[in-house]
Amino acid sequence: MSSATTNAIRVHKRPKVGLLFIAPFAVLFLFVLVIPICYSAYISLFQNKLIGGNAFVGLDNYIKLFNDPQFYDGAIRVVVFTAIQVPIMLLSAIALALAIDSLRLHGTKFFRVVVFLPYAIPAIVSTLMWGFMLGIRYGLIGSLNEAAGTSFDPFAPETTMISIGVMVTWGFTGYNMLIFYAALRAVPRELYEAAAIDGANEFHIVRYIKLPALRGSLVVTIIFSIIGTFQLFNEPNILATLVSNSGITSYYTPNLYAYNLAFTGSQQGYAAALAIVMALFTIAIAYVVQIKGMKNVLNK
Amino acid sequence: MKKRVLAAAAATVATLVALTGCTGSSDAPSGAGVPTDKPITLKVWSWDGTVKEAVPGFEKLYPNITVDVINAGSSTDEYTALDNAIQAGSGVPDIAMFEYFSLPLFAIPGKLTDLSEFGAEDIASDYVDAAWGNVTIDGKPYALPSDYGPAALFYNQAVLTEAGVTAPPATWDEFYEAAKKVRALGGDRYITNDSADIFLLLSLIWEGGGRPFKVDGSNVTIDFTDEGTTRAVEFWQKMLDEDLVNTKVTGWSDDWNRGLNEGTIATQIIGSWFTSTLPERAPDAAGDFRIAPLPQWEAGETSGSENGGSAMAIPADAKNKEAAYAFLEYFTHGDGLQSRIDAGAFVPNLSNLDDEQFLGTTNEFFGDQKYNEVLAEASKNVATGWQYPPFFGWARTSYEDVSAPLYNSGKGTLADVLETWKQRSIEYGNEQGFTVK
Amino acid sequence: MSSTSSALARGKKLYTLSNPRKSTTLTLLTGLFALYCLLPMVWLVINATKSQQDFVSSFGLAFGDHFALWDNVVQVFTFQEGIFARWLLNTVLYVVVGALVSTLLAALGGYALAKHDFIGKRVFLLVVLGSISVPGIALAIPQFLLFAQLGITNTPWAILIPSFINPFGLYLMWVFTAQAVPDGLIEAARIDGAGEFRIFRQIAFPLLAPATVTVLLFSFVSIWNNYFLPLIMLKDPAWYPLTIGINQWNKLGSTAGNGELIQNLVITASLLTIIPLVIAFLSLQRYWQSGLALGAIKD
Repeated sequence: MSSATTNAIRVHKRPKVGLLFIAPFAVLFLFVLVIPICYSAYISLFQNKLIGGNAFVGLDNYIKLFNDPQFYDGAIRVVVFTAIQVPIMLLSAIALALAIDSLRLHGTKFFRVVVFLPYAIPAIVSTLMWGFMLGIRYGLIGSLNEAAGTSFDPFAPETTMISIGVMVTWGFTGYNMLIFYAALRAVPRELYEAAAIDGANEFHIVRYIKLPALRGSLVVTIIFSIIGTFQLFNEPNILATLVSNSGITSYYTPNLYAYNLAFTGSQQGYAAALAIVMALFTIAIAYVVQIKGMKNVLNK
Repeated sequence: MKKRVLAAAAATVATLVALTGCTGSSDAPSGAGVPTDKPITLKVWSWDGTVKEAVPGFEKLYPNITVDVINAGSSTDEYTALDNAIQAGSGVPDIAMFEYFSLPLFAIPGKLTDLSEFGAEDIASDYVDAAWGNVTIDGKPYALPSDYGPAALFYNQAVLTEAGVTAPPATWDEFYEAAKKVRALGGDRYITNDSADIFLLLSLIWEGGGRPFKVDGSNVTIDFTDEGTTRAVEFWQKMLDEDLVNTKVTGWSDDWNRGLNEGTIATQIIGSWFTSTLPERAPDAAGDFRIAPLPQWEAGETSGSENGGSAMAIPADAKNKEAAYAFLEYFTHGDGLQSRIDAGAFVPNLSNLDDEQFLGTTNEFFGDQKYNEVLAEASKNVATGWQYPPFFGWARTSYEDVSAPLYNSGKGTLADVLETWKQRSIEYGNEQGFTVK
Repeated sequence: MSSTSSALARGKKLYTLSNPRKSTTLTLLTGLFALYCLLPMVWLVINATKSQQDFVSSFGLAFGDHFALWDNVVQVFTFQEGIFARWLLNTVLYVVVGALVSTLLAALGGYALAKHDFIGKRVFLLVVLGSISVPGIALAIPQFLLFAQLGITNTPWAILIPSFINPFGLYLMWVFTAQAVPDGLIEAARIDGAGEFRIFRQIAFPLLAPATVTVLLFSFVSIWNNYFLPLIMLKDPAWYPLTIGINQWNKLGSTAGNGELIQNLVITASLLTIIPLVIAFLSLQRYWQSGLALGAIKD
């Protein structure tokens, strides 16, 4: 990126045009997200009692949260989950995107659709499907156990999180693959041609052209994957009613905890405090990732 | 199955006309104050599908009223929606459905209409005492019972016979012996399943006279050490300890359906409403299932308890209360009741429980047993005086958390679990402004 | 510059790189992952052919006694007075309007972030990032109360307006614009006297085709699968999208109570809801062809 062109744009100095482009998004965004968030922050300072009504409690909800072992239990679980699942998912997604983009597959189009398809399955259905695939009584694992004489249980308290990982990876690898794939498709094919003429082999092209082209997308996918897994909710929520003794508690993940606090415990203020703390924590991590990975793009 | 239900419904249509004459103890609709001059639309939230059966008859009676029955979600989903609507001050329905245990949560903070202003007490005598007790909070009726769940024993006769159990267990001791025999069949076979189902445990406690929750206004007392409670808890502990209950299968899951279907789960201790859904879940066991009274703590006793059931109430913010009560009374007690019964509703109205037609109902699935005779008896036997704490919705979730270690890996005892549960409930209840001990 | 670009782009058959030798090893490896993706789908297809009775009594990956797919489809469309068709139409409305508008807003905003300087850009990004980090569950109630104030709960607007906002799409468009639209091109157009909006429409937007399609597809799917928001906002089944409807059907039989057990309809309905997504995906395929951005080489 030459600084000359950057300056050329800056010379134009049309800040109003930029604002005009972003305005429709910004206005709706303010309305749909920012105002409700501010309201959430506001109610996190209150405690609404079933008897006695609403009372301002200051930071009590936050203090309570930091002394709540159930909150830490869930928070640590999703952090560990994120640290393991996100790299596996994103590396698979990159590998798949490279494979499909290489045009060396028999049936490229088939794979492109098939890998993305799981993302399109509603959570309730995918959980039902995986409940069967991993079921030990009537499912596939049950049959495998029977055949092999083992007694592996994918929904024991120690293994449930792995099963959830299998389900989440299944659902979202294709989604991330598509982002990487779109980034690869945006690379002009002629670059590869030029590199080939210069004597680069396929490995070189991947290493020096394709992978660098994924950099921006990688930052986006990392950030959004972290946000997504920190908000893990659907799978444990549905699984809890599907299998027994899975170890899934009402505070299994912070989001599940917030949901149960707000919707079965009438503790909206406390739930809001939890949500805001988790959000700040997510932002902090996302910001680090963004600063580390995004410098080039941001400074353009 | 579905066809059979339809056929049964069609068959009863003929007798319907005659019947409505009997059940309609309220000749002149009590809603004297219902405006008849202006058009009214009643919004009813109900996940009980039978309510809409009563609409055409009611609309004929009140041409100016249109009834709009909406399924606004089941249980917690609906309560959340209702709370939201109340908070937003718009979209509050005229009638909403509640499970019995959830009524105090709305009644105590004043979110429901006290129905005594419409003379609801006048029809109290039509309901079994326990059902009326469910809707009475601090001495006032806040809802009318619409659906009832006296606990009964649904048993797979073929499996019990195979295990050498010739008659359904009449006492819990017999149930224990039967459980051992079923377990002796080997493999995956159990007399029943339980994965921390609080309603199951409470139905045993309730039947035996235990009253762990006492509610007086905003004062709540929790005590799991009274005699009835202790006896039930110790019994169930024994069942768990000796591996006589399948703890790996959770109710309402696909595994559960399959277990009932293939006979690896031999019985269910569950509410009467189970009659309508068991045939769909266990189609291969058609003809094998029978229904018996709940086993007793002492031979010869006739005590009973509930597992489930629901009522309909009028939110305090409802717009058309008179019209709402007129409809409420119509489909839970008046001329609209029979159409719901024909559609499969199980109701605690004595007029129905004593009805010959009702008592004579049979179904091939239950081996042509006149099962309603058992269930009507069970309804009348439900012991009175039971109370749920107002925060039971929360407590139920909390119970699943605290009982997980016991059910997952056999750590601790049921008594320990209940003690922890009590402590958490006390903490939560006090935080919510109740006085809990 | 742009004329040579399109000429070269069209001539892709000239290059062996665009049509390399197929690799069986690579196909097999990718095939393994495809199997992982497809196996549960196979379950879905097989079980959509079973009656409720067969569903309970037969092994999951085996067919039942009766091939009931057609019966199931008919039942899905006739159950509860044929409300499924209504849900399908609602969903199409939400998806088509929501995906188009949100993609357009994301493209405009992403372009502005990547190619224009304006005050508060960093703050804006941080706010966007921060907002989506707040769990949607915590926002549902405030959003409901806000919408109730405006009297739009229980109307399609309650679903449409939030769906217009796709922060992920914005972020993605920003990254893609930064990479795929050369500053030189914009600069050249400005020197030629083109207006800012025309530059966006005629120069930047075409270069962003793969990204736009990706964002469109994501919006499409996420609105299609939107669950929590409609659950809170809508009470009238006549406005339900498919997800809420199917979940409600599933809950009939899977929560304690005497609701009807219709797993066969839940599964068949799920299969039916996937089909439009597959069609959308297939029909958008060709927009991923690239080679449009030759001008970028110079950059």
